Amino acid sequence: MTLLETIVDVPNRAAEYLSGERTGDRLARLREDGLAVHAALASLVLLLLFPVLVAVIVSTKESGIITGLGGLVPGGNTYANYYRALVELEFYRYMLNSLVMASVVVVGKLVVSLLAVLAVVYYRVPYKDIVFLFILFTLLLPVPVRFVPLYRLVTGLGWNNTVLAITVPYLASATTVFVLRQHFLSIPPSLVENAKLDGVGPLEFLWRVLIPMSKGILVGVSVIIFVYAWNQYLWPLVIVGDDLQVAQVGLGQLRGQAQAGDVAWALTMTGSVLTLLPPLVLLVLFRKPLLETFSIQRK
Amino acid sequence: MARITLENVRKEYGDVVAVRGIDLEVSDGSFVVVVGPSGCGKSTTLRLVAGLESVTDGDVRKDGESLVGVEPKDRDVAMVFQNYALYPHMTARRNMTFGAGSATAFDDEEIERRVTDAAELLDIEDLLDRKPEALSGGERQRVALGRAIIRDPDVFLMDEPLSNLDAKLRIRMRAELAKLHEELRTTTVYVTHDQTEAMTLGDEVVVMNDGRVQQVDSPQRLYDYPANRFVAEFIGDPAMNTLDVTVEAGADGARAVHPGFRLPLPDGDGLDAAAGSGAVLGVRPEDLSLADADSGADAFEATVTVTEPLGDSLLLECRVGGDRLKTQASPRSDVGAGDTVALTPDPERLHLFDPDSGEAVYHSAGATTAPDRDGRATRSPATTPEER
Repeated sequence: MTLLETIVDVPNRAAEYLSGERTGDRLARLREDGLAVHAALASLVLLLLFPVLVAVIVSTKESGIITGLGGLVPGGNTYANYYRALVELEFYRYMLNSLVMASVVVVGKLVVSLLAVLAVVYYRVPYKDIVFLFILFTLLLPVPVRFVPLYRLVTGLGWNNTVLAITVPYLASATTVFVLRQHFLSIPPSLVENAKLDGVGPLEFLWRVLIPMSKGILVGVSVIIFVYAWNQYLWPLVIVGDDLQVAQVGLGQLRGQAQAGDVAWALTMTGSVLTLLPPLVLLVLFRKPLLETFSIQRK
Repeated sequence: MARITLENVRKEYGDVVAVRGIDLEVSDGSFVVVVGPSGCGKSTTLRLVAGLESVTDGDVRKDGESLVGVEPKDRDVAMVFQNYALYPHMTARRNMTFGAGSATAFDDEEIERRVTDAAELLDIEDLLDRKPEALSGGERQRVALGRAIIRDPDVFLMDEPLSNLDAKLRIRMRAELAKLHEELRTTTVYVTHDQTEAMTLGDEVVVMNDGRVQQVDSPQRLYDYPANRFVAEFIGDPAMNTLDVTVEAGADGARAVHPGFRLPLPDGDGLDAAAGSGAVLGVRPEDLSLADADSGADAFEATVTVTEPLGDSLLLECRVGGDRLKTQASPRSDVGAGDTVALTPDPERLHLFDPDSGEAVYHSAGATTAPDRDGRATRSPATTPEER
């Protein structure tokens, strides 16, 4: 097992240990698995999680300034902080906007990519390989690089300050096309040929055969797309106003709230934790299809 | 029901020629098996009929109408694939009905009825609600067959449908396929690399090699009168022995002369033309019998080099004048490596082939009794010289 797999597998293994009938069994199993390895892994995990833990702790305190290890004790302001951020400062609005944006991007990207892959894999397109290479080539031009022309295009269309502006530019995805293409290529060609002989049309084949056969990978890709869209900052900041603004930008609003003459770190961290939650929930819920997508799941 | 005609069909992939101009006639309701080694173009030929590949040159016709440019779905053919091509996420029943809606004019009720009938015919009624992963190889192939059957197509195209099954199951399914065809009488083109399958299933067998049709004939005639060396050595297991000989004409008839023997050849077509020149003598292992010491002049001596007990017979590999040949002895013969045995070939079952072209020039069976043509024309490849 790789380190990543070990870490992802922690919930399962923890459950396994906890379900052990006697304590002795657990200790014996721990020894069997190698205590030193577990200690090393645990400290690595801790190192990775440390900033997140600090953020969680700070979000429970009043001032949020930590000067030493002694400051790493949870405070009693949890409810106040989260209530103030979510309700009084209307952070929920930003999160809702993010949710809408990310959902639209997920659906749109899947539709566009599925159709593109259908063409690239199953149709006799002239210079198909070059077309595919060209699609991959767009990886070299992420949104920030296209910023200025994209801005002119979107404002020219009159889309600024609309949901279209923060979703449409994200709809084409070389990564998704690539992942889906590899998967579709692994489906035996005889399935397509049989469908051809039966006169099953391409869209029906996509809908009734390819998509059901690719459920796992589609869920995995969706999670990746969702997290990517959820984390967008610069483009939404530039192209939409406050009423459509997304969570990542909204965090800045929270930081702007002065707290006893200081930056409101506690509120900022509250917002950070809130922002972290939706992707985290998705990752936990869909970790299996996600790993399948990257083909590192233990077979 | 339909008749399929292939006329000078060629298929090229870039520089690679897969099919080099073949002519073939599949008559209505017949079961034609196309057999050949891998890469001989047999699967490509089938895919050309299905429309999954387009012909580079020539014509594919169904009942006289050209299929060139006709979409696969409009050809009214159903194909059964080697890997079954079942949709893994659908139940057996759904697999069978899925394409039927688009491929046929049947309404749902009719499809349902046909599924029930096909399931009964194939004995898979209990399996209809299972997904392919819960089915064994043989059951999957039955479902795939059922899917083809309920469409009631003009032609069944089968691409090595039994190759993924284990040996026992293959033999059982082979018999069932034959029975199925007996009941349905749908024109069937069946591709396989297994010559036993070809012999047992086909009304007619098409032997292909290197993109060309080598011979089209009934299984028995293919075995008895191979048109050339390739067919002779491909059909039959163990393969036919071939030995370089010289044909000598003498007062008491022609003889095949080899360093190890002088074998009299019964008079027959093509023998005069072959006389005085080199030829390849073909004789099947099962047509060589271990002779008693006094069995006469036709016997020749051979040294056994390897014995392979097969249970029902004992396969002997022998050396005769520097050449090797195989023969079958009775299973409990007391013969071991190093022994010298006397072999008598069946004079009715000798073949001579042209050493350069490999074409058959003489079959001794034709010499004494004319082959029963059974109203069936023996078609040989276009390259066969007419004057033979």
